[in-house]
Amino acid sequence: MTLSAQASGPDTGAAQGMTIVARTQGQMIRRRFFRHRAALAGMILFGFVVVLSFSSIGFMGIPGWWDKSYLTTGALVNQGKPTLSVVPEFLGGSGIRLGEHPFGQDDIGVDYFAKTMRGTQQSIIVAFLVAIVATTVGTLVGAVSGYYRGKTEAVLMRFTDVMITIPVLVIAAVVGRRFGASGVVVLGIFIGLVIWPSMARLLRGEFLSLREKEFVEAARALGTSARRIIFRHILPNTVGVIIVSATLTVANAVLLESALSFLGLGVQAPDTSLGQLINEYRTAMVTRPWLFWWPGIFIIAIALSINFIGDGLRDAFDPRQTRVRA
Amino acid sequence: MTTPPNVPIDPQVIDPHAYEDAAHLLDSDGEVHLGRTLQDARPPSQEEILRVENLTVEFPTEDGVVHAVRGVSYGLREREVLGIVGESGSGKSVSSLAVMGLLPKNARVKGRILFRGDDMLKMSARKQRSLRGRKIAMIFQDPMTALNPVHSIGDQLAEAVLAHELMPRKTALARAKEMLDLVGIPQAEARLRSYPHEFSGGMRQRAMIAMAVINNPDVIIADEPTTALDVTVQAQILEKLLEVKDAVNAAIVLITHDLGVIAGMAHRVLVMYAGRPVELGETDPVFEEPRMPYTAGLLGSIPSLEGGGSSRLRPIKGTPPSLINLPTGCPFSPRCPLATDVCREQEPPLAETDSGGHYAACHHWDKLAAVEDPTVFFRTESETVA
Amino acid sequence: MIVFIARRLVISFFVLLAATFIIYVLTALSGDPLEDLRQDNSPQKAQKIADRSERMQLDLPIPVRYLDWLGRTVRGDLGVNRDGQDIATILADALSATLQLVLAATVLAITVGVIVGIVSALRQYSGFDYTVTFAAFVCFSLPLFWVAVMLKQYMAIEFNNWLKNPVIPYPVIALLALLGGLIFGALTTGDRKRRLIAFAVGFAISGVLFTILSVTRWFADPGLGLPLILAFGLASAVGFTALSAGLQYRGPLYAALAAAVIGAMCSELLNPLLIDPTWLEIGGLVLLTVAVCVGLGYGLGGLQRRQAIIATVLTGLFTGGMVFLDRMLQAFASYSASVRGRPISTIGARTPNYTGDFWQLNLDSAGHLLLPSMALILISLATYTRYSRASMLEVMNQDYVRTARAKGLPERTVVVKHAFRNGLIPITTLMAFDFAGVIGGAVVTETVFGWRGMGFMFTKGLEEVDPAPVMAFFLVTGTAIVVFNMIADILYAYLDPRIRLS
Repeated sequence: MTLSAQASGPDTGAAQGMTIVARTQGQMIRRRFFRHRAALAGMILFGFVVVLSFSSIGFMGIPGWWDKSYLTTGALVNQGKPTLSVVPEFLGGSGIRLGEHPFGQDDIGVDYFAKTMRGTQQSIIVAFLVAIVATTVGTLVGAVSGYYRGKTEAVLMRFTDVMITIPVLVIAAVVGRRFGASGVVVLGIFIGLVIWPSMARLLRGEFLSLREKEFVEAARALGTSARRIIFRHILPNTVGVIIVSATLTVANAVLLESALSFLGLGVQAPDTSLGQLINEYRTAMVTRPWLFWWPGIFIIAIALSINFIGDGLRDAFDPRQTRVRA
Repeated sequence: MTTPPNVPIDPQVIDPHAYEDAAHLLDSDGEVHLGRTLQDARPPSQEEILRVENLTVEFPTEDGVVHAVRGVSYGLREREVLGIVGESGSGKSVSSLAVMGLLPKNARVKGRILFRGDDMLKMSARKQRSLRGRKIAMIFQDPMTALNPVHSIGDQLAEAVLAHELMPRKTALARAKEMLDLVGIPQAEARLRSYPHEFSGGMRQRAMIAMAVINNPDVIIADEPTTALDVTVQAQILEKLLEVKDAVNAAIVLITHDLGVIAGMAHRVLVMYAGRPVELGETDPVFEEPRMPYTAGLLGSIPSLEGGGSSRLRPIKGTPPSLINLPTGCPFSPRCPLATDVCREQEPPLAETDSGGHYAACHHWDKLAAVEDPTVFFRTESETVA
Repeated sequence: MIVFIARRLVISFFVLLAATFIIYVLTALSGDPLEDLRQDNSPQKAQKIADRSERMQLDLPIPVRYLDWLGRTVRGDLGVNRDGQDIATILADALSATLQLVLAATVLAITVGVIVGIVSALRQYSGFDYTVTFAAFVCFSLPLFWVAVMLKQYMAIEFNNWLKNPVIPYPVIALLALLGGLIFGALTTGDRKRRLIAFAVGFAISGVLFTILSVTRWFADPGLGLPLILAFGLASAVGFTALSAGLQYRGPLYAALAAAVIGAMCSELLNPLLIDPTWLEIGGLVLLTVAVCVGLGYGLGGLQRRQAIIATVLTGLFTGGMVFLDRMLQAFASYSASVRGRPISTIGARTPNYTGDFWQLNLDSAGHLLLPSMALILISLATYTRYSRASMLEVMNQDYVRTARAKGLPERTVVVKHAFRNGLIPITTLMAFDFAGVIGGAVVTETVFGWRGMGFMFTKGLEEVDPAPVMAFFLVTGTAIVVFNMIADILYAYLDPRIRLS
């Protein structure tokens, strides 16, 4: 028996002696997700990063609450050192305050907080675009090849075989070399277009096993069209796998984009991203370490929080809870 | 006949009498015969070899404590077959895993499990392990998953010997071959090198039996040994189990939800419900004159081949209670046609009934004793009217 | 089996072929190869453009260029880069450094990752398990290049500075001791009292150890010496015997202990040979060790011959490894002096024009390999840890593990024989996947550490829109990935008898 079966709290004394509280699948998943403390923390952290980056410097012409721009230079204050302080005065620090340039300034006096926020925005946009494109294409290809089998499957799978032989970083670098200068949107879409094969593999496996299930058999026996079976009957059963995998793709894409930009094969100056910032100031490690620290911290914060969310989702969709046979 | 290696040999194919073997469960008129039909070469003695006293098992979970076993006591005599029946969730498997010491670490086990007078729950881990597999062996439900897919059958059998006795590997393998012969696996010598996936389901279960008896144990715990098998193979396996038991002089605890299996094999039967024993006695009296409505209900729900209007299945209505949140009183009372207020307030103890050695946990066992066919209480209204 | 491998090889070949086409076309389309020359203001501008266009056959359509490249490659000619340098020459220099890095990282990641993952699974819900899980998540989320730069700054530069006067300050010793105590405590299961005792033991051991290392200034002139080699050898003998045969029978234990003693003695007896050996001689010694150990195990193992041989060979190899390490460490002081006291290098794959004996040369490559491998390992390590933990947890819940326990097998046999082998099966699939990731990581790592390896060849080629070096890079790495896939498949078939048939 599964121990997750829910019994009511106090005995209601009904004819059965007890009532079983029915929960819909959605409720169960939500409940399990919110019990996953790391996932919850990840969600809060990620939400914070998104709100901070988009609200501070504004987005697409909408102004934000931070008064400095990531483009304009200013006079160097205190050699550009960060003015952010978190150590209270009674502990010997300079009190909790943001100051003029909380993250410091770069070598020509641009406010580094604004620059980091701009990079964060760009990195998040690329990562989500990559995940959306890769998930959509991967799901479609996986679904079609898993459901139809035969020649379609053979062709699609050989193609993914070919793509998987090429290291992701290599193919993404080649694409980045071509589209890096065209802005983050184009870059994100094209990287998504080359990294979908692993997603297709995963979905194909799911479809292969689900298409043999009785409910699909039943639908087929009723004369349901293949399209309807794929989208109405099988796809909803793979939602868990898709969501989890898409989430983890976002985390990987953040790292991939930053690595590409670091190699100079991703986002190109004057536009910026977290990886591009690290690349730009990589020689400043000794003289201006903060130029190196802040983007790194934000990359880790985004990737870590999304990885935790992904883990929580996986647990919520696929509970391998302790089972006891009685 | 030569069989190419790696092709599963199904005993069904080579045994033309396979279907006849199942016939022992049926009378000449086709009715399921309730009562022990198989004969022992050596009848059980009165000496108790294993005694379970007031065993309780609890599992703490996120949703509360699961009371999987709530006070089970029984004694197993030498060479005896004791059947334990119950639905899934009744605690029959958990209680026998507790005897083997195989419960997960988070299980809380209380009570006493005496093997030849020694309490196994108080033994050192090493002492307990030396009994496991040597004196008390276990056969599991699903032979597909209970054998390790990456080791050969011979290796897995020999290992059971080598775990308790230091001897050359060759000697252990020779013993393994003997055992495969004993359980009726053809070409035992060659089969030692086979892997489990090269065996059919029935042959795997035979190999499991061979593994269980390879150290001449005193007690064999068989946990639903035939549930995962085809009906025709079931009968062969059960017969083989009894044959092997006689060969090694072991007692058997046979766990099943199949009353027919118990009827054909067990000397005594223990019926469990919601983690507690509710009826205990010799097989024939328990099945012919049940003193607990649950047992009567189970008997009523067996499909029978007899003709007439009352040949419909009569399932017990309702479901077993949650083991996390048990109702007060008798756990069967919500489903029991005989239940009265006292049943809902007080859980009845397992007490002796009208005949000696026949125990039942029911406030109203006398009502069952008063009618000729105790399953009558479970008939549907339409049947009663007719 | 052979048919299976052959079929895989043929398929892999065609897959690789198709992949080269994709890479070639994409690279050729990725930009303008004449970009730098168009901004050139020198009088030879036109001439330069014409030269390069001819060298790169820019007047031909891309598919024709690809076929030409393919034809020459089949004949063993990798062509020239856009400046006319021979690719084969560049490749020869780049290859060994990168392969060393990638293989070192992969082997280390698999070994450490699988062990940590299994221990973490066997100690599920312990402090150790939680720490490992959290650390794995952090590793997953670390940008490789960022870690590499950090390592360069703190591990290399600061560590080298510290080596000038290798005294560990007392607060640091206290911290290290605390860490040791926590590790011991987290690895122990049981009640609070047992964990506290383990903590105290761990704290004391690490405290004393680091104090001794500091007071004796061990890091300035490290080494193990005969007593330590012997002690480690004997400890490994007990450990390996406990894992393979159990300690209740004497035969296997004596065989393994004998191997440890003989190995330790050899560190002195073979001194003339060990002063400046060659790799060939080291290989011979390894074979000799295995032979002697098999003999010992066979002779002393008694009824548990098989297990005795396994334990003895592992002990022998471990002790040999200790002797090797000891020699390397002994060469440390002289090596350090010869590179002006900066043994941990941050640039390149070896010190240019360095000469020394066998140990010094090895120390030189080890010093260069250390940081890039550490950076490269992190992500793979996390992956292997997570996968082997999950795989092991799944396997430990299988019915056959319960069957093994029901036979009365000791827990050691249950874990090593029944769970471990089954748990490894999914790991082999991961190996193939992960290797491609490591190669991608190597590209980034080489950039940070300034290696003129394969990764450099790739990024430079790509920046210059020059397909020839990019293709050479891909030919080598693609083949390596295919070979690695094959190894993984064979390992899979070896571990799982069910797929040997198909």
